[in-house]
Amino acid sequence: MGKQITFKRESEMPMISVSLGDMEWNKTGAWRTQRPFYEEKTPPCSAACPAGNDISGFILKTAKGDWEGAWNLIREENPFPGVCGRVCFHPCESKCNRGSFDEPIAIHALERFVADFAPRLSKKTGKAGEKRKEKVAIIGSGPAGMSSAYHLARLRYDVTVFESFPLAGGMLRMGIPSYRLPRDVLDRELSNIEALGVEIRTGISLGEHLKLEDLKDYQAIFLSTGAHRSRGLHIQGEKEKGVLSGLDLLKKMNLSKRIKMGEKIAIIGGGNTAIDVARSVIRLGKKATILYRRSREEMPAFEDEILEALEEGVKIRYLVNPIRVGQKDGPKRLECLRMELSEKDESGRRRPVPIPHSNLFIDADYVVIAAGEEIGASFLPEGAEKREGIVLTRRDGSTGIKGVFAGGDLASNQRTVAHAIGSGKKAAMAIDAFLQGKDAEEVIIQHLIGEGPSLSIFGYLHPGERLRNPHVVTFEELNMDYFEPAKRQGESKSAVKERIKGFNEVSSTLSEGVALEEAERCFGCGTCNECENCYVFCPDGSILKREELFSHQVDYDYCKGCGICFTECPRGAISLKEEAK
Amino acid sequence: MKKIEIPPEENLGHGHLACAGCGAAVAMRLTLKALGEKTVMVFPASCWSIVPGFWPYSSYRITAVHAGFVTGAATASGVRAALDVRGDDETLVAVWAGDGGTFDIGLQALSGAAERNEDLLYICNDNEGYMNTGTQRSSATPLLAWTTTTPVMQPKENPKKDIMAIMADHHIPYAATATIAYPEDLIRKLEKAKGIQGTRFIHLFSPCPPGWRMPSEQTIKISRLAVRSRIFPLYEIENGRTYTIQEESHVVPVKEYLKLQGRFSHLTEKDIETTQRNVDDTWERLQRRARC
Ligand SMILES: Cc1cc2nc3c(=O)[nH]c(=O)nc-3n(C[C@H](O)[C@H](O)[C@H](O)COP(=O)(O)OP(=O)(O)OC[C@H]3O[C@@H](n4cnc5c(N)ncnc54)[C@H](O)[C@@H]3O)c2cc1C
Ligand SMILES: Cc1ncc(C[n+]2csc(CCOP(=O)(O)OP(=O)(O)O)c2C)c(N)n1
Ligand code: SF4
Ligand code: SF4
Ligand code: SF4
Ligand code: SF4
Ligand SMILES: [Mg+2]
Repeated sequence: MGKQITFKRESEMPMISVSLGDMEWNKTGAWRTQRPFYEEKTPPCSAACPAGNDISGFILKTAKGDWEGAWNLIREENPFPGVCGRVCFHPCESKCNRGSFDEPIAIHALERFVADFAPRLSKKTGKAGEKRKEKVAIIGSGPAGMSSAYHLARLRYDVTVFESFPLAGGMLRMGIPSYRLPRDVLDRELSNIEALGVEIRTGISLGEHLKLEDLKDYQAIFLSTGAHRSRGLHIQGEKEKGVLSGLDLLKKMNLSKRIKMGEKIAIIGGGNTAIDVARSVIRLGKKATILYRRSREEMPAFEDEILEALEEGVKIRYLVNPIRVGQKDGPKRLECLRMELSEKDESGRRRPVPIPHSNLFIDADYVVIAAGEEIGASFLPEGAEKREGIVLTRRDGSTGIKGVFAGGDLASNQRTVAHAIGSGKKAAMAIDAFLQGKDAEEVIIQHLIGEGPSLSIFGYLHPGERLRNPHVVTFEELNMDYFEPAKRQGESKSAVKERIKGFNEVSSTLSEGVALEEAERCFGCGTCNECENCYVFCPDGSILKREELFSHQVDYDYCKGCGICFTECPRGAISLKEEAK
Repeated sequence: MKKIEIPPEENLGHGHLACAGCGAAVAMRLTLKALGEKTVMVFPASCWSIVPGFWPYSSYRITAVHAGFVTGAATASGVRAALDVRGDDETLVAVWAGDGGTFDIGLQALSGAAERNEDLLYICNDNEGYMNTGTQRSSATPLLAWTTTTPVMQPKENPKKDIMAIMADHHIPYAATATIAYPEDLIRKLEKAKGIQGTRFIHLFSPCPPGWRMPSEQTIKISRLAVRSRIFPLYEIENGRTYTIQEESHVVPVKEYLKLQGRFSHLTEKDIETTQRNVDDTWERLQRRARC
């Protein structure tokens, strides 16, 4: 069959006009002016994840019930899914295409679900194979340092982390309160990193116990010491007893130190640290009042956190600015000025200006100043430049000193856990490139997700495997005919009454059923999930299946290039390009 | 999103001559999957005299009988009688006729077969015009549409003939509408029809990219919009009496459907309103029939 038939003489022809063969010889592919092809693309969520999670990939696995696979896929990029699923501000969700249809996917909640459920099924991560001879030192065990340690260990380097604190984890342990991030979750993910052969040496401070010159045995160094110096207000009385910085207070509480602070606590500031302090103080049975010099709209703290704080009884007074902490010992008396908002400043927020003669007094037993954190890098030697309060780095994270890289809060004004994780990964790739004599910038550019700055290490660790496509799928590229509106499923929260009794986690992990439902809402932008629409609707039977298995192959012998498969793919996993003439 | 399940076997071979993006080729592929190999299909003149290939070739993997334009239902009645004489009650006899071959020139033969309640499955592949001969109007061409015989200066003045009502009033056991954007619905209806004795009629709606002046990749979209806009509702009629409507939860104005097709590009806002009114009236009439 499939051949053309020729009759040499009339007697060879059948008596009636009956067909003798099929049309397979007629290669209709020659008609084609445009060519469809399978092409995995990048979903906008993934491009927006500073940690570089393969979001559509892990959600697809979750929807199939393969939690272990989902967990492993996240950990190709990010060793902290349990942490991120809880404390990341999830910029991924604001870019989620589903947001243009009904509501974004609860990505963080799924990430948390996977991180909590999969380890129950799976063994711990094994060692990364025989180590290379090169050694790398990492200073600081926060998310930036531990992320780079993790990936460097996967790249088989001999990694040592130096941490000045008695315990590892950075702000995840010392800053973020445990009602948002239970310590067993942090410990689990840290010990998975250690299991790769990473050594963490606590109680060693660079600058104090150790100088950069002492690290000669290490061929590369990653500085990730964070931003731990609290900014002052530069007002009278702020150095007195009974006044403490927000971060110092949280550190004390997180190391279970007792603090005498009376009953009424005034907290100055409007950021996340202020909210964390206020909610922690409420949990110790005290009264918390936040004083903020602008209005609710300008508050930099995360909206959900503000709402939860208010629910729990935190009071917020807006448009007041303390100018003096009165009374040396015992209860404090804060002298403040009322403020009003004038035109916008360089941050885009309206600038507060004092109203003359509007002085008022606020009484408190204890005053906490949470006016932001800055880096303290007195250990930095000559050659490492600083500007605008951060250590200057090149695109690949390298500093002015050869072999020394910096990342996390120390080198960025985007101070979030996910950014820190991403910068640690970038450093790992750049250090590997540096040690192996490759062009680090080139490596980084090759592995950007979408247009970046998010970065994927998957293709770097597994050469020959798919790279992330720079094409980011827009909502318009999807076919909404195949989706029905469905309610977004989020975590449930415990009752306020229960919450304020202690430091137990406020929100709970999704149940299996709910997680599956939520995972099924994901469009899977740019990733084929074998829905087979292309196969069903092809007029020319040119989407190949092998023994009932979907193949992702177009039969170009017969495909006429109509483009139906391209249009009917719900998720933009097929592309169409003009056929070469 | 639920996966669309269709039978695995392919009874339409590669290399056929349908235009790129032909809705009827999707329809044929799905139909032959549902009907299976043990089918004799009669083809009065239409695109489908040409699409499977020319003698001595055919891309059908079933038995196909080509017939005169007028004679679809009559030829099929004869094939059925011949099989009956041979004692073959297993093989299904079907007709695949265009809208021209059904609404117009083949109507007499169809009406006769239906009145006799011949045991055959008649599929009208409706692409709303004489497409094989270059897009002339048929009585299935919609109101105000362009064809080469209804040019834009004088687009079609008459609404589409209600073939389903005509067939229902022959009191045949089963009549149903179907279209390619709803493959599972189409396959279910074909399978159901297969299990019924007597004359069964499927009104199958298949967008035609060249004839409708639309991009080939929009074929399925337009088929779906036809249902969503209610210009082509999906329903079944049993014994001419019992109506079941497969209501689409997404309803869109008919403008959404019209605006993707060049054959409607001359329509003014007023024309679109007229079309919408026509759609609303027809929909209401269908619902009235379904209620009583
Ligand atoms: C109270 C608070 C709440 C926050 N909540 C969130 C949140 O919910 N979500 C979010 O995304 N981000 C949050 N952040 C920001 C986030 O914690 C940081 O952006 C992130 O931890 C930065 O990571 P890093 O690794 O750069 O630094 P860090 O986490 O600060 O870690 C730096 C580590 O280096 C150690 N170190 C410092 N100096 C030396 C030295 N000289 N020698 C050795 N070790 C040293 C420190 O002890 C520390 O362990 C919060 C920050 C604070 C302060
Ligand atoms: C008696 C007769 N008149 C005219 C023709 C020419 N002819 C062949 S196919 C066709 C058009 C068929 O239109 P339709 O039935 O709608 O099928 P389509 O081609 O649109 O699929 C015509 C007019 C013919 N074959 N026989
Ligand atoms: S780390 Fe943050 S941005 Fe990335 S997927 Fe998780 S929640 Fe989203
Ligand atoms: S629908 Fe899924 S893949 Fe698409 S942006 Fe949202 S989370 Fe990402
Ligand atoms: S639907 Fe089929 S014929 Fe059309 S472009 Fe896709 S593979 Fe080719
Ligand atoms: S239509 Fe479905 S099977 Fe085909 S490429 Fe798109 S997601 Fe994959
Ligand atoms: Mg026709």
